[in-house]
Amino acid sequence: MKNFSFMRLSLWVYLAIFFAYLLGPLVIMSATAFNSPSFPRMTPWECLTFEWFSALFRDERILNGIWNSILVGAGTVVLSVAMGLAGALMLTQIWPKLRATYYTIIIAPILIPGVVLGISTLVFWDRINRMLGLGADSFLSNGLFLTIIGQSTFIASYCMLVLVARLQRYDIALTEAALDLGATHAQAFRKVLLPFMRPAIASAAVLAFLASFENYNTTTFTFGEYPTLTIELAQKVRYGITPAISALAFIIVVLTVFAALFNEASIRRKQLVAEARKKATVEELESGKLRLPGFLSSNAAAVALVVVACATVAVVGTASVYSPQQCIANVQEQKRLETEERIKELRRQRELRRQQQEEQGEAAPAQTAPATGSTGNNSGFGGVFAPGSLSGGSEAEPETEQEPQGNNSGFGNVFDPNALSGDGGESGSGN
Amino acid sequence: MPSFLKEFFKRNGTGMGSLMLGLVLFWTVGLIILPQLSMLDFSFRPNLPPPEIGGPKDVYTLENYKYLIYGPEGGSQDYNAVDLKVFFRTLVAAVCVTVFNLILCYPIAYYLAQTKGNHIRIFALMLIIPYWINEILRAFALRIIFGETGVLNNMLVGLGVFDTPFDFIRNDIALYAGLGYAYILLMIFPIYNVIESLDRNQIEAARDMGASWPMIHRRVVIPYAKPGISSGCTMVFMLSAGALAAPQILGGPSSLWFTQLIYQQFNDNSDWPQGAAYAVVLLVTCILLVLAVMRLFKVNMGDIGK
Amino acid sequence: MSAGVGVDLENLWIRFGDFVAVRDANVNINGGDFFSFLGPSGCGKTTILRAVSGFLEPSDGRVLIGGNDMKGIGPNKRPTALIFQNLALFPLMKVWENITFSMEIKGASVRERRKRADELLDMIALPGQGDKLPSELSGGQRQRVAIARALCAEPDVLLLDEPLSALDLKLRQHMRTELREIQQRVGITFIYITHDQGEALTMSDSIAVMKAGVIDQIGNGKTIYNDPSTAFAASFVGENNVFRGKIKRIMGEEALIQTNRSGELVARISTANQGKMKEGDAAMMFIRPEAFALAPKGAKGTHFVTAKVNNEEFEGNVFNIFMEGDGGKELKVSIPNLGQSFEDHTGQNITLEYETKNAVIVPAGELAAE
Repeated sequence: MKNFSFMRLSLWVYLAIFFAYLLGPLVIMSATAFNSPSFPRMTPWECLTFEWFSALFRDERILNGIWNSILVGAGTVVLSVAMGLAGALMLTQIWPKLRATYYTIIIAPILIPGVVLGISTLVFWDRINRMLGLGADSFLSNGLFLTIIGQSTFIASYCMLVLVARLQRYDIALTEAALDLGATHAQAFRKVLLPFMRPAIASAAVLAFLASFENYNTTTFTFGEYPTLTIELAQKVRYGITPAISALAFIIVVLTVFAALFNEASIRRKQLVAEARKKATVEELESGKLRLPGFLSSNAAAVALVVVACATVAVVGTASVYSPQQCIANVQEQKRLETEERIKELRRQRELRRQQQEEQGEAAPAQTAPATGSTGNNSGFGGVFAPGSLSGGSEAEPETEQEPQGNNSGFGNVFDPNALSGDGGESGSGN
Repeated sequence: MPSFLKEFFKRNGTGMGSLMLGLVLFWTVGLIILPQLSMLDFSFRPNLPPPEIGGPKDVYTLENYKYLIYGPEGGSQDYNAVDLKVFFRTLVAAVCVTVFNLILCYPIAYYLAQTKGNHIRIFALMLIIPYWINEILRAFALRIIFGETGVLNNMLVGLGVFDTPFDFIRNDIALYAGLGYAYILLMIFPIYNVIESLDRNQIEAARDMGASWPMIHRRVVIPYAKPGISSGCTMVFMLSAGALAAPQILGGPSSLWFTQLIYQQFNDNSDWPQGAAYAVVLLVTCILLVLAVMRLFKVNMGDIGK
Repeated sequence: MSAGVGVDLENLWIRFGDFVAVRDANVNINGGDFFSFLGPSGCGKTTILRAVSGFLEPSDGRVLIGGNDMKGIGPNKRPTALIFQNLALFPLMKVWENITFSMEIKGASVRERRKRADELLDMIALPGQGDKLPSELSGGQRQRVAIARALCAEPDVLLLDEPLSALDLKLRQHMRTELREIQQRVGITFIYITHDQGEALTMSDSIAVMKAGVIDQIGNGKTIYNDPSTAFAASFVGENNVFRGKIKRIMGEEALIQTNRSGELVARISTANQGKMKEGDAAMMFIRPEAFALAPKGAKGTHFVTAKVNNEEFEGNVFNIFMEGDGGKELKVSIPNLGQSFEDHTGQNITLEYETKNAVIVPAGELAAE
């Protein structure tokens, strides 16, 4: 029994670590979108602000990138779902001797590094372009075309896998039955196979769009005049980062959670409806009087969806009336004081060192730093936990955060110089 | 017309059949096979300005491959130590990331697959959500955490573990964490899919006979999950060896990933044939490595992607 | 009955690579008939059906429907409708949509389709079930929906591929009568595929018995049962006792056969083999279990058989006696239970008699597997 509970405990500890690793970075990144410093950080927490969101919506390149990503995504979805479906159908009826080879070929793009796919697409279509004697501005060297082609190469494989899983449950007799009842091949495909495949096609399309939206490795070689969002983000992240990117990430996280909850809720609802139908009598079905369960009844995901929606509305509402000017002014004032302190301190240290050197020749410098460091972090530490209640009453937080910071200003000085050099060092280190 | 083609068109109709065949041929030949061959061909050619392509100087050469091994002609060193070091480091690091991911993900995959209940759906959702978010943003999030003034450093220094902030980025810890983070899902899902189909009774039978948990995993679960494990490992290895975003964002200034060299050849040096040669080397080495490991563990290609 | 459209197979061959699935089939099916192909699984009967419906092109020979050669005409252009073995109801369409699928193809309005669906649902005794999904119906109901869907296409020929095989015994027997009734009501040609001789005998106007791609015999139920032309047909359709031997003397329509175990016996030569058999030919004689009667002990002659009883069982309507038979097969005798006293003969020799007209001689050949 003791052994058993030990097992349970270690399981939960493991799960906690695992999901902290998985979700922690996203939570922290989202939090930085609401903190006022211009370098995205959660500690020390300065002021709650929504200015990074407006900065994001003013950024032409990001907006243009989003538009390009949507164009590329749409093209990729169409092309890769079509190719994936054709590939999956072919897999079910290809000559058995060719099957293994064929499968290897269509699965290979998943394993080929994206960089290689990008290069080969670029090189190949460039060659075709030259063979056809077209100029550098032809359709075939268009960034949009190349990116869609390059991405579809491997995204179609993912689609194929999703579709083939569903296709394996398809009874070919259904198509034959449709043909036998007078349908043409196209009609049989449209009226029988396609409706059967619809859920899988929807999943494949979503998967394809997401894969396309987030692709970097292939796109970075092919984008040409059409930098996608990912390319723009990479440029930004490599050459200096701002919380506006966190703001974008936060929006994507929220959208994702919405989509996930919505999906979950509609699956649950379908189950409930199917159950209700099964229990229904003929008369109820006939008369259309069958009472279907409501959207929210015994559907936790739907409830969560509504809660998240309300929270979002609340946050957006807060954002439109909230102004962090006062807080930012306070912080600036405080920073100014800190800087003065720091200069004084540096002077004092230099003075001290000179004295020491004069007295003892070579003594270890800057021994004071660690001791002050550990205390100075109290304020930063508080910031780790504070944003947990972000969607709720986080307005009050900047004020409560202020006080410890004010008190600590004397100790915090050791950190700030580091922070400044860290800023420069990190933004330069990306290349 | 060969009989199997005739049969194919009879089965699918002329219109639908042609459409299907056309799409499949476009994909397999036009997008997969020919571009790879084209890249291979390109890697054996000298770097020429466009007007000279196809001219008398456009001959096959091993120059680009020699460059990787011996460095520039008349260089100071016997070998291209920098690039070769990057190449092998990339491979070793990719293997390490794969092993780390396997160790991290096997327990959770097993737990998710063998436990029933509503909370499992929530866990699955929590697993998937990070993967709906941009690769660059995921790396960016880790950079916020691992930065010199990042949350982790503040925490560690605050707890007194380190005296001064530790440079996770320069020491590549951020990079490895980022690569591991990026491909967790690709490791979990194949293993999860296989273990889910494992009959619980087998495990219970083994327990009944007195096997310990490590024993059950070694003798029952792992042999059964082998296709999933190899599928996950193959994908994680190939993708981390071929990763570009994470090294660019999370790599220290000195640490180059092999894909970054390829990127430089293409974008900074404009030496496409050289870049293509590097890409071929990366692709072929990775495939050979994967095939060797698959043979070692007796796994088929057909298991990949299940 | 010549109202419906007939189907003719002329020298039909179907090959898959080196494998011959159907070998030189010649069949004339009269319009309006209920025609069955009866044979064990893998004998090529489904292949014939697929050739008639148009999913397969014959390798050689012709398929004619209503006298027209069907070469090159796809399944969607043929006046046939097929009921699949697994029914192949469209799982995502409601019952009424399933039934009127053929009308949807032709562009009929929803109202027309609804109306026709209601008529057909009444006919198959499922009124008001149109809005259900196929998965919400029972096996027998699905069966009837499949029939209605095929009939809605107004085919000249309805093809049925073992449609009853998935049903349980009771339902199967019920559906037999129902199918036969529907066929008589709509008056079109039914071509029915089965491995169940009971289904074939009860429903069909004509039956073709098939073995390994070859049609052994075509005839109505009584002919097939009473007057088989091959050893396979005799042993496949119904229970039968075989006696192997050689023809000793031919006496008009009858012959004296020297059997391996039971001495000389007289029997009728089957109609198809009249005049084709000669003295000294290897032959087989078949007698049905119910054609025997108990004879006085020790009676001798050319219509008496004596053998040792292995086992007896009481089945209610009959007593079954199992005796040592020919070639390792037991000889089975069924005596109707008419209330007579019945003593146990196990281990004893008993003598049986039969009437010559109930014993039939065919050339020696392969027997159907049990």
